[in-house]
Amino acid sequence: MSFRIIKPGFLATIQDAGRYGYAENGISQSGAADEHAYQWANHLLDNDFNAAVVEVTLGNCEWQALDDMEIIITGADLSFSIDDKIVPLWQTISIKQSETLRCQIAEQGSGIRSLIAVKGGFQTMPQFGSRAVNLREQIGEEIKAGYTLITLPLIKQAVRKRAIPYYFKPDYGEPLILRLIPCYQYEQFSQKQVESLLNQDYLINSASDRVGCRLHGQAIQNVPAKMVSEGIAYGSVEITTDGQPIILLKDRPTIGGYPKIGTVLSLDLSKLAQRQASTQVRFELMTLESAQQKRQQFNRFFNISRSV
Amino acid sequence: MLEIKVASENAIIIYLSDQVSEGTIEEIAFFTALLKQELADLIIDIVPSYNSLMLSYHLDKTDYIGFCNKVRTLIESNTIIFKMNQTESIEIPVLYDTDVGLDLADYLHEKSLNLATLIELHAERDYRVHAVGFSPTFAYLGPVEPRLRTPRLATPRIQIPAGSVGIADQQTAVYPLASSGGWKIIGRTPLDLSLANPENISLFKLGDKVRFRPIQLAEYLALGGEV
Repeated sequence: MSFRIIKPGFLATIQDAGRYGYAENGISQSGAADEHAYQWANHLLDNDFNAAVVEVTLGNCEWQALDDMEIIITGADLSFSIDDKIVPLWQTISIKQSETLRCQIAEQGSGIRSLIAVKGGFQTMPQFGSRAVNLREQIGEEIKAGYTLITLPLIKQAVRKRAIPYYFKPDYGEPLILRLIPCYQYEQFSQKQVESLLNQDYLINSASDRVGCRLHGQAIQNVPAKMVSEGIAYGSVEITTDGQPIILLKDRPTIGGYPKIGTVLSLDLSKLAQRQASTQVRFELMTLESAQQKRQQFNRFFNISRSV
Repeated sequence: MLEIKVASENAIIIYLSDQVSEGTIEEIAFFTALLKQELADLIIDIVPSYNSLMLSYHLDKTDYIGFCNKVRTLIESNTIIFKMNQTESIEIPVLYDTDVGLDLADYLHEKSLNLATLIELHAERDYRVHAVGFSPTFAYLGPVEPRLRTPRLATPRIQIPAGSVGIADQQTAVYPLASSGGWKIIGRTPLDLSLANPENISLFKLGDKVRFRPIQLAEYLALGGEV
């Protein structure tokens, strides 16, 4: 079972639930930028929570099926079609041998990252315990025209037709509030500086990627100086010397030296991963207890364990 | 000193010292090993750095309070027995030359040094690995001889070639991958430190001794170096 890539689009990489256990060697977490869409794709296929999918960024791709398959596409609605007939996202769809799967370019509010999943996950060679591609670290590479993506051979495909309940389907056009756990160097920021962060709308800068999301707003004045480098967590918010926040994402370096005003709840980072440049976002404080409850709920729902 | 802070919904950061010294490296290396061994089933990842340790933990098996209590008890009830017992230094051959040392000419001018003095002060001495991070196998080495210390470039370079040897403040390091960066580049090693060789992943460990060996162009080329 496989696909041939005719056109990879702007950027397409293999991603899974991430690379763990190598952070002390400087290897970053990596993995699907939008965990919500990623977990739904695997959940609807009864896949393991860690199965590898393709993350298509900003669209413009064209794949040819080399076999009959049942697939799921979640995330950004990039007007996917099979042989020019529009297909729905967030539910099982069938593609037949030699048919062509296409997607268009992302539009305002459509989201920017789509996930294409197959039963059992794409079969690439794991490196350091994961199939996730990290271009900054030169672990794996982006998918290029002419590549063949291998899937598991299925004996008489027994995929049940399934769809996401409509109330779980996200709206990537709705206003986004990033819930921030006050932690790290939070106490080193003055009340005025914290208020400056919380009381304004930030715009997502176009220089954002899987490493980090740069925001632009009114500069926070007199931010604490650079410090001794230390571990940076998924979602931590660095305030750079010029007073602007950077939210560190899946492909971030393991350590860094900018002061951090807090860390965004991971579930909100999934939503952030779907926002275009120039989208407005705001911060709001949340407690650690509430953040832990929400994440535990998510992990239980998708049966995510890291005990592997 | 022991201070534990929240780093994220499933991570904490432990500060063991407010300064950076060889003693601190020993402490960090010791507790990294200890916590990894004792709390293996709770820990997802561990990020040791100069004076801190970040730990991420399984939310389905523990919570913040429970995890912190275990960590605190382990740290407070153990005396450090880690000794940096490695006698051999990891040797890195380096060509100090303006062809590969992108900032070498400016740097020598800035520091009023000649090349021979720079090589004498930078090579043939042991550095300790204070942290591994930024990118895989990027080892922060220190301390750099006071006469060599220099601030970072005002504007970081977009692309530094793999193998470049840089200096920033009290630290020196090899860029294992071509990447952006703001350190001043004074030379280049012909060694491939990238993960193209997966064994490089464990090349540098906290507390390891590293030294640079100055080489000439002929050896640099013979070892596979590119100009």
